[in-house]
Amino acid sequence: MEEQFIFRKQYRNILIVLMVVAFLVALTAVFAFRPGASRIWANILLNNQFFLGIALGAAFFIAVNRVAMSGWHTIIQRLPEAMTSFIPVAFILMLLIFFGMNSIYHWSHYEGYDEVLEGKKAWLNIPFFFTRIVLYFTGWIAFTWMMRKNSESLMISSDLKYHNRRKIFAGLYLVFFAITVSASSWDWIMSLDPHWYSTIFGWYVLISMFVTSLAFIIILAWFLKRAGYLTQLRDDHVHDLAILLFAFSIFWSYEWYAEYFLIWYGHLPEETTYYITRLNEYKAIFYLNIGINFIVPFFGLIRVRSKRNLNWVAMVATVVIIGHWIDYWLMIMPGAAGGDSAIGLLEISMTILYAGLFIFVLFRSLARGPLIIKNDPLLDESLSYES
Amino acid sequence: MDSPKYISVFFDDEDPLREAVRKLLESKETIIDVMTPFPVHGIDKLLSIKRSRIPIGGFIFGILGATLAFGFMTWVFTVSYPLIIGGKPFFAVPSFIPITFEMTVLFSGLAMAAAFFVRSKLKPDIRFNPVEERITDNMFVILVDTGNGNTTPQKIRSILSGIKTLEIRE
Amino acid sequence: MFQSPLRNPLIKGKKSYQDVTSQLLDPMVNKAGKLWYMGITLSGGAMMFGLFMIFWTIWQGIGTWGENRTVGWALEITTFVWWIGIGHAGTFISAILLLFRQRWRNSINRSAEAMTLIAVACAALFPLIHLGRPLLTFFIFPYPNTRLLWVNFNSPLVWDVFAISTYFTISLIFWYVGLIPDIATLRDKLTKGIKKSVYNFLSFSWKGSARDWHRHEITSIMLAAIATPLVLSVHSIVSMDFATSILPGWHTTIFPPYFVAGAIFSGFAMVLTLLIITRKALGLEDFITIEHVESMNKILIATGSIVGLAYITEIFMSWYSGVEYEHYALMNRVTGPYWWAYWIMVICNVGSAQILWIKKLRTNLWFTFFLSIIINIGMWFERFVIIVTSLHRDFLTSSWTMYKPTIVEYGLLIGTLGIFFTAFLLFIRIFPVISIFEVKSILKTEGAYSANKELNHG
Repeated sequence: MEEQFIFRKQYRNILIVLMVVAFLVALTAVFAFRPGASRIWANILLNNQFFLGIALGAAFFIAVNRVAMSGWHTIIQRLPEAMTSFIPVAFILMLLIFFGMNSIYHWSHYEGYDEVLEGKKAWLNIPFFFTRIVLYFTGWIAFTWMMRKNSESLMISSDLKYHNRRKIFAGLYLVFFAITVSASSWDWIMSLDPHWYSTIFGWYVLISMFVTSLAFIIILAWFLKRAGYLTQLRDDHVHDLAILLFAFSIFWSYEWYAEYFLIWYGHLPEETTYYITRLNEYKAIFYLNIGINFIVPFFGLIRVRSKRNLNWVAMVATVVIIGHWIDYWLMIMPGAAGGDSAIGLLEISMTILYAGLFIFVLFRSLARGPLIIKNDPLLDESLSYES
Repeated sequence: MDSPKYISVFFDDEDPLREAVRKLLESKETIIDVMTPFPVHGIDKLLSIKRSRIPIGGFIFGILGATLAFGFMTWVFTVSYPLIIGGKPFFAVPSFIPITFEMTVLFSGLAMAAAFFVRSKLKPDIRFNPVEERITDNMFVILVDTGNGNTTPQKIRSILSGIKTLEIRE
Repeated sequence: MFQSPLRNPLIKGKKSYQDVTSQLLDPMVNKAGKLWYMGITLSGGAMMFGLFMIFWTIWQGIGTWGENRTVGWALEITTFVWWIGIGHAGTFISAILLLFRQRWRNSINRSAEAMTLIAVACAALFPLIHLGRPLLTFFIFPYPNTRLLWVNFNSPLVWDVFAISTYFTISLIFWYVGLIPDIATLRDKLTKGIKKSVYNFLSFSWKGSARDWHRHEITSIMLAAIATPLVLSVHSIVSMDFATSILPGWHTTIFPPYFVAGAIFSGFAMVLTLLIITRKALGLEDFITIEHVESMNKILIATGSIVGLAYITEIFMSWYSGVEYEHYALMNRVTGPYWWAYWIMVICNVGSAQILWIKKLRTNLWFTFFLSIIINIGMWFERFVIIVTSLHRDFLTSSWTMYKPTIVEYGLLIGTLGIFFTAFLLFIRIFPVISIFEVKSILKTEGAYSANKELNHG
């Protein structure tokens, strides 16, 4: 079962055309509709965060499964591994934000005296902000690179020491990931509303990342299966992926509720501003967010039969991905772009542009080795897995 | 004594059990029941046991519990005795969620457990005598229908030749 | 289904199904050893002391406690949350690990779930006795009355009532449904007498039919599926007792998942405390192996790290928020009059979880046992710190006081420990400590050998 993904010219061309067209449409949207600089930069931030989240969540998926010594995921292991290769690209894109700091981050350029922002100056200042970006990304790139490297070494030499090293790195990555995703979400998203704070925010973003990643892995698996690859991916594996999507969508909804409910109940003005803005001006999107991200995966994946059908699960996953994009939109846009926010041609074209880039990088990485990992000691378990 | 109702075939391991079930079904014998000390993987499929509808019952009763709880709280706080608590509106949906959720789970769980007991006809019976006491220990048993004497222990023995059985008796 | 040879066996030794049955039924069939009698005397004594303190509280009133107007909640609510938290590990093991197909749970889930039931019962004592007029407890249930009053469904305390009763009921059902085949085993092993009749009665005429097993499996999985969100919700609702307030140090959105993680952390520690002793005392080392202990320790690392992350988040946010009350709440915890409690908490919870990264320590039984007690002490102090330090110095400086527990309150804590260990000691004599049928079902695939053939992993 030597499977090798070939990044065919056909795919390459489609992706390049897609990216070029999306870019042109975005340019047109900018010149035709004249959105403010805030909205443009907010879009860049939104897509950076969204696709970086998919890549980081993919690494999280691998790490958790490695640490728990779960065998079933081994057959699709290379999919999330390939997804992590986007992180260096995201690094460069995130550094670009430097040029848009004043447009979206109010704390970087406020006039007059703002007591609250003065108090936060030690954390929210541009040099430290970018130092942290460098720190986060260095760690993420280092870890995911090591994980990929060890997998490659394992495939070449079948020496179990690489397998054990991967386990150690997985454990360390989990700790690093948890801390840096929390901190980066405070930096990049929470500070968009610099007068507001919520302790659960980091964990909320973490779970959003993970669910989006899962959904993407499922869609990728579906695509590969349809293209004739992954012949040994069975309903049993799909079932487990669907269980994870189901369970963590519910967990996401729980965290959403925890944040919303506690702020609603406490009714403290410094906290409720966040929700008041969103409920007053973006009511439909607000309810759409919780509706798509809870109701669809819950009712769509509750039956065992639904969980075993890759086509159906991929459909639910697509809805979930869109839903979580909306979730990020709701987190970022009102604070970054304010009244200028909308979901229009600019948003859609930029997202497609980023998606094209992500898939391009992903396919290149996927084609660089066997599609199904070799010499992994848990591979046989995965191939014979029954659930 | 009338003719025995069934023939019991004993095994001490689950692999011969599975083989035997397969062979007996191929020979068109009617299997009344298969009794094991723990759930044996694959027997359900062989015996064509349909997937239980207990989960559906659980789901329905869960929805019932949710509706009852949410409806009751809504009635209490909007019709029966509206009180302004903490400055929140009377119809405080977010506040109702915890209890609604708990009642969903409670109703669902009770219903499924009850369905399980009723469908499996499990009830406390102080005078219960099991078919064979070693089933709960290490014995695997197939009960084959004698079909008015058509099936005899000898017939079964010949069908199951080659499979390690422990005992075949009426 | 193939099992990788990398995995260590979960059941040691050459065993047949019969061996499994007889070894696991031993404690019930044979007479108790000296150790058991010593244990139950000790815990029974503590229980008696606690029961007297409960009586004294009800007789003399809540004034026998150390609470004052500023610190209206202290030791009792701390112990309440602590016990509920401990209970969560049982459901985690029974339900969540079942859904994640972690077969190592099969030898520990029975006792863990029993521990849950006892822990929840101990916790439930506190709402009863701290009401002040326990005879009027029925007030908290919504029933039509002449005052035309209903309970306040908007209050987290009422949610607690529903959450904990649901949790206890569902846990009991889940535990009992799983227990039925094992009671049947016990029934069939005994030959005559009152014992046999009682077990016969309790076994619900279980006969081991394939159809019954099918329904049993589905019911178990479905109960696990609803118990999983239940366990998350129960401790979240308990955390909302605090988070729905506006008190600095209490009102923070991270509480629900943070409390749940902490609950699983302390619960697993308690499971380890109980099982390390039980496996030695009852000779069950072949079934509860070092593998199991290590897996439980790994969960301790995970949940302990989540708790540590929550600490970091809270520390950061108390500064970042710019709210001087939040900032003071943290400073008071770290450097104020209860600083010793805070540091016990941090060292016991964060230090303990992180030290388990060292494999040698993870697989060492003595160290694990010692650490499990440390963790439980740390988690008790965590609740104490959260509750007392936030209450004793909040917004109005003229209300600042100190809290000092009385002997009655210590007695309640010791008493519930006594009830817990007494009930657990009784449990191991009455019901099989390890789920017999579940162990048999994994004997072939996860056991080291099986009596019928040498297991070659392949």
